[in-house]
Formats: sequence, C-alpha cells, structure tokens
Amino acid sequence: MKDQENLRELFGKFFDDEQAARYVEDIQKAEQIFREYPAPEPDDMLIANIKAEIAMRLQAKRAHHFRRIFYEVVGAAAAIIFVAAISLQLFKQAPPTDREVNHASLIPTAIWETDDITTTDEDLAVFKAQIEQIEDEVIALQSGEDTVNGDSTLVELEVELIEINSDFWKG
Amino acid sequence: MTKSYDLARIITGCKGGDAQCYSQIVDIYSSRCYGYFYRLTGNNDISDELLSELFVKLVEKIGSYKGGSFESWLFKIASNIFHDHLRSKQRRKKLLETQKTELESEKIEPKKSGGELTDKLQIQLGRLDEDTRELIMLRFYSQLSFKEIAQMRSEPIGTTLAKTHRALKKLRELV
Repeated sequence: MKDQENLRELFGKFFDDEQAARYVEDIQKAEQIFREYPAPEPDDMLIANIKAEIAMRLQAKRAHHFRRIFYEVVGAAAAIIFVAAISLQLFKQAPPTDREVNHASLIPTAIWETDDITTTDEDLAVFKAQIEQIEDEVIALQSGEDTVNGDSTLVELEVELIEINSDFWKG
Repeated sequence: MTKSYDLARIITGCKGGDAQCYSQIVDIYSSRCYGYFYRLTGNNDISDELLSELFVKLVEKIGSYKGGSFESWLFKIASNIFHDHLRSKQRRKKLLETQKTELESEKIEPKKSGGELTDKLQIQLGRLDEDTRELIMLRFYSQLSFKEIAQMRSEPIGTTLAKTHRALKKLRELV
C-alpha cells in the first residue's frame, strides 16, 4: 500500500540522495493538489442503484447456479440410464449361457441329423406304416394275389388311403 | 491489521454471494473509483456508467480474485473498463468523423458536466496524455504503492517512478 512505502528509500535506489529528495518533494506537493481539488463524490442515487443492481445480479447468479446443478444432475442421471440400457442390450446379445444350452439339448439330436421326420414323430410313424401296408395290399391286389373280393377290396383300400391322407393333412 | 482482516472477511462474503458484503465494498471503494473515472473522463455521466459497470464486473469476476492486493485487482478492472470505454469512443468517433462532430474535444478538454464547472485541476489533467493521466490517477485514487502500480502496468518500477515524477511535476507547474 501507498502509505506503507518509503518513497525516499525507493527513489534512492534509482537516483542520488539529492535528486531522490527533490523527486519525493515534487510528488508530495503534486499529491497535495489532488487533496485541494477533490473529485466530485458519486451521487447517493447512483450508489443505491448500483447496490440494487448487484442484488439483482446475485439473485440471477444464484438461480443460474441452481439451474446448472439441476442440469448436471439430470445429465448424470440420463447418462447412467443410457449406460444401463446399453449394458442391458449387450447382456441380452451375449453368447447363450449353460442353461440355454441345456434347454437346446432337450431337443432330440436325431431331429437335426435326419431328413426322415417320421423317426421323431409317433403319429407320422403310424401313418407311414399304414400307408406302406395299404400300398402292399394294393400291389398284391393288382398282381392278382387277392381275387376273392377283388374290385370292392380295391375300392375300400383306396377310400382308406384317402382318409388317412386327409387325416394327415388335418393333423 | 484490523482493516485487512475486515476486508478479507468482506471479500469472503462476496465470494459467497452475500449482498451485504458487496454493499460494504461499494461503500468502501465507490468514492475512490468514481474519482478515478471522473478525473480520467472529466464527465459525470460517463463516470456514473463506468462505476456501475465496475461493480457489476466485480460480481462477475470475484471468483477470479485469488488473494494479494484487492485494490490492485479492483483498479486493474477499473483500468480495463476505462480502456474499453476509450476504444468504443474511438470507434464512435471514427463513425461520426464524417459528420464533423466534435467528439475529439470531449476526449481531451474537460467540459461542463452535470451542471457544474470542472475544476482547474481537471482542465490541466486534460492536457496530459492518457497514459500519464492514468498513471497519476492510479497513484492517487487506488492508493497503490509504486511497486504495485509497476506490476499492474507490467513495467519496471524505475520507469513508473520516472513517469510519475515527470507527470506530477508537469501538473504542478500547470496548476
């Protein structure tokens, strides 16, 4: 601060003693002029307005501060939710677990390894056996092995074959 | 010691957003800062504006005050505000030059403001160049030491001493 400095000593560092003394005197006298001609004081109304403006700015600053905290919290929450959602998605897309493999292994391996689906379905197997039997009978009839009820037997067999066929497609 | 302790407490309060502490700062510094602006501009209305701007800036920038001389920090802001004002005035002057206005005289020569005659000192101050005038104002109104003024102006202390001495001697002769 100005009142704590020793001007004589300060000027003495740069000028000789006589010069320093003269310079210090010049400065002190010039500063005396400022005291003789004081600048006008600020108006009371101006000071009151400044204080009011400051109070208003402080309020706005506080509001801004709280708003910023709110946005930061919301932003952080959104980021957490986003990361959680992404993690969940990645978790769902992860390779099947042992449990899922076990479920898959319940399906008979044969079903994946053969083109003949009748080997895995009992109903189909029965149908297939019946069809084969009827075919054999038809062949036998056609070749003249069964001649007792020749024509009617053939018609019965054909009807039976059609029934089985339609039952098959109905499931 | 008591004064510096009080000032430290007030500044801490300001940093905490205490309006009462700002009010105290305004009470402590408004007179000196107003004198500083008035002696540099010679105009009451402009000084009013600049003083208001200074305290508004204080609210905005108080967080950047990291200790040291508060006066030095405050008057650095005041000096920047004054220079901004000068720059904007120069821009306006350039615009108005084509219309042959007399803004130039407003810049150097003091004139009637707020219904009162400017004093003899103000007239003589108007004859000094801006840099010298500001140096003297800093010395008188900021109450800063030569060392602090030199730091603020980023120049060697010897230069500040020599310039101040020359300017004050000239001013004394003029007055």
